[in-house]
Amino acid sequence: MKTMPKNIDIDPNKIFAKDFLKSTELPIHQYQKSIDDELKIHGKENLKEVLRHMYIVREFENMLNSFKTIGSYKNINYTYNGPAHLSIGQEAAAVGAAFALKPEDKIFGSHRSHGEMIAKGLSAIKNLSRDKIKSIMHDYNGGKLISYVHKNLNDKEFNDAEMFLLSGVLAEIFMRELGFNKGMGGSMHAFFTPFGTFPNNAIVGGSSGIAVGAALHAHLNQEESICVANLGDGSTGCGLVWESMNFSSMGQYKNLWPEPYNKNPPMLFCFMNNFYAMGGQTLGETMSWDRLSRIATGVNSEQMHAETINGSDPLSVADAIIRKRKLLIEGNGPILLDIECYRYSGHSTTDTNAYRSRDEIKHWKFFDPIQQYSEKMIEAGIINKNDLNNMSEKVQNQIEYLTSKVVDRELTPSIDIAKNPTIIGDFTFNKKVINVSKITSDLLKNEGEVNQIKSLQKKSRFGKSEEGSLLSGMRAITLRDSLAEAIIYHLSRDKSLIAYGEECRDWGGAFGVYRGFSDIIPINRLFNSPISEAAIVSTAIGYAISGGRAIIELMYSDFIGRAGDEIFNQLAKWQAMSAGELNLPIVLRASIGSKYGAQHSQDWTSLLTHIPGLSIVYPATPYDAKGLMASSLCSNDPTVFFESQRLYDKVEIFTENGVPKNYYKVPFGKAVKRRSGKDITILTIGASLYAALDASMELINHNIDAEIIDARSLVPFDYEMLLNSVKLTGRLLIVSEAVERGSFANTIATNVSKFAFKNLIASPMIIGSPNWIAPGADMEKTYSPQSEDILDLVFRDFFPEKKINKRGLRKDWDFLDLAKKGL
Amino acid sequence: MTDIIIPNLGNEISEAEITEWLVETGDDVEQGDVVLLISTTKTSLEIEAPTSGKISQINSNEGDLVQVGEVVCTIE
Repeated sequence: MKTMPKNIDIDPNKIFAKDFLKSTELPIHQYQKSIDDELKIHGKENLKEVLRHMYIVREFENMLNSFKTIGSYKNINYTYNGPAHLSIGQEAAAVGAAFALKPEDKIFGSHRSHGEMIAKGLSAIKNLSRDKIKSIMHDYNGGKLISYVHKNLNDKEFNDAEMFLLSGVLAEIFMRELGFNKGMGGSMHAFFTPFGTFPNNAIVGGSSGIAVGAALHAHLNQEESICVANLGDGSTGCGLVWESMNFSSMGQYKNLWPEPYNKNPPMLFCFMNNFYAMGGQTLGETMSWDRLSRIATGVNSEQMHAETINGSDPLSVADAIIRKRKLLIEGNGPILLDIECYRYSGHSTTDTNAYRSRDEIKHWKFFDPIQQYSEKMIEAGIINKNDLNNMSEKVQNQIEYLTSKVVDRELTPSIDIAKNPTIIGDFTFNKKVINVSKITSDLLKNEGEVNQIKSLQKKSRFGKSEEGSLLSGMRAITLRDSLAEAIIYHLSRDKSLIAYGEECRDWGGAFGVYRGFSDIIPINRLFNSPISEAAIVSTAIGYAISGGRAIIELMYSDFIGRAGDEIFNQLAKWQAMSAGELNLPIVLRASIGSKYGAQHSQDWTSLLTHIPGLSIVYPATPYDAKGLMASSLCSNDPTVFFESQRLYDKVEIFTENGVPKNYYKVPFGKAVKRRSGKDITILTIGASLYAALDASMELINHNIDAEIIDARSLVPFDYEMLLNSVKLTGRLLIVSEAVERGSFANTIATNVSKFAFKNLIASPMIIGSPNWIAPGADMEKTYSPQSEDILDLVFRDFFPEKKINKRGLRKDWDFLDLAKKGL
Repeated sequence: MTDIIIPNLGNEISEAEITEWLVETGDDVEQGDVVLLISTTKTSLEIEAPTSGKISQINSNEGDLVQVGEVVCTIE
């Protein structure tokens, strides 16, 4: 047997041929332009602006430093409780790069990116037309921020757009409502997309994949712009950064993608290399590279066109960015720049500099970017000392003036949580949905021309024959088929949607949901990703916040761990951290495994329900799978879509007319009653529906009439239906395949105790998997709750007066003893 | 005489569909030639001739559902 045809032939003769791997020299500090050269390129005024922008960045951070360390700046007293990861000493890197970038280029930063963000904003203001700037300022936040500036920061001495930028950043840092993200992001996350600044990230390396996703969006939309991840040298130790470098240089772009997409995404990795990862020294201590740029040699044969450049000279940085930007626009990404610079300021303001000598700091002050550049400008006659002093003084006045207004809590208040205690919750979900077009476009073939999709037409839509016997998955639509129908419907009609993950293309997804899709959807919208779960999620975030939509697949839900930060800290949080400025229309498919043991068979729904910010659904029937997938793909909120490998071949047995051929939606937050009963409510989560149904059949023999409710949607969850049921039955058992400790079932049980206490005859109970590993295939039935286990519990805890031959494996377990032992 | 049978395709898969026959009765085949394509609920597979010889009998048509273990073709 052979697998399906592949696109690239691996020829053993070529593979085993004798050869040497070649790499070329990478430039280190090769910048040689004179000031005269630069004058010709940029002109005198621009070179002066570089200096002014560096002054602004430095004074802004001096101000923060002063508040953090002595509680005042000039004559302004203020206690600032948030973080201040300053980049004093790195201004040339921030300003030089921003100077060379276009307003439409996007930068993504780190926890230490105030400077980069301000510099990019100043550069955008310099380059955008006044009309454009006016409309940006007017459109943002209903014009509130620009009104504030015109009212309170109206000294004509200062440009209102600069005051708009600086007050938006400072108010954000000080957690005020007028901040660019209403204070929900704060110091480490401030951004303002109209000026080309995108989320700064408090997780080291966290921006790398997000920026790559944005670059992919720019690439697929043929935009003439580049995306920049500003990362620290410490991030070269992070897995995501490596995954992202690879993701942005995958061979398939040039080898397999059709024109005009057969180029690499315009992705620039700027490592702001200040030699310290907090207190660990990357050079010589925590990392293996001798020069940071060496890591590029491990990524592709172009060695990411890497260069090490002098980050204390803004013109050296600008020169590199101009050259690299051209290469990127031509499709030659990704590119790595190792921008060597130095922060005099500590990692944070509580840093005592125990890890470096005073001599070292003193030595680097000779290379201070502002000092060096000023001297160069004076020497070249571009500016005189007097003008320089005036420039410096004016910037200080500008920052002092700005600060005096923003610290004022009456003038610039924080969000009034006392008045609106759940307002932060309101930022969590946007609840927006799209209407998908009815017209298909840009397909390789129509659905009807592809065998795998055509074969669905022959199948029965209902899972039982006229005589009532169960049909096999070859004869009736399965849950796998119904997912395929919803997903191909969207992929064929929604051009903003892309799909990727491991084995998504010719293989059809590890579990066959995408079979035949690669004959319909072009490879640039449906592609195999590397085995890079973190980058899969992270790039989807970047793609989505740039205006696209993505459905991504992690194969087994067990691999969520590999994308832990990207799901828990990024996917779940950016909508709220941006106060709703960003939408993340992403569907993350996670398949709960079976038969492959401890690392491939875990129901991790409860891990994700624990994290605020994700819609979470888990259908158990073909009808629900199709309808919930359609809702997920229409939602503008990030959705985790759980599937069970035990259910892919299930046919529809609940909805009498079967799975509709036509497109339809099942709404989030609506449970469904699978069986009506009066004695006990059994709520099932996902695949456990079928064990509970079996148990209910046996219960009937004992005159116990169970009502079965299938949750379908976990976040949001349909408490209304459940509470109404419990009010009638007075008893609740929740069945889930997640391990019992910390299970979401406990949360539901607690809430039901709270909201229906007076209706309860007994305490709500839950049953899940025991608190140990999922064993292999032959032992699996000892693990996830079986109908016998459910029966045991129902008789023991709810109907002790009734007798049943105890059949389940757990019948003699001492649950208290197990709990004491941590099991 | 060698039978071509529908192989075991995993625990829960009992049926497959004959997608396409690539041979007819009377054709000569070499061991390893693909003789038919089948699909299951999950995947599509190519079935190869286990031995060289002449196709003496084909037992099912394209579009038919066949059971795992069923003889679909005989080589002499």
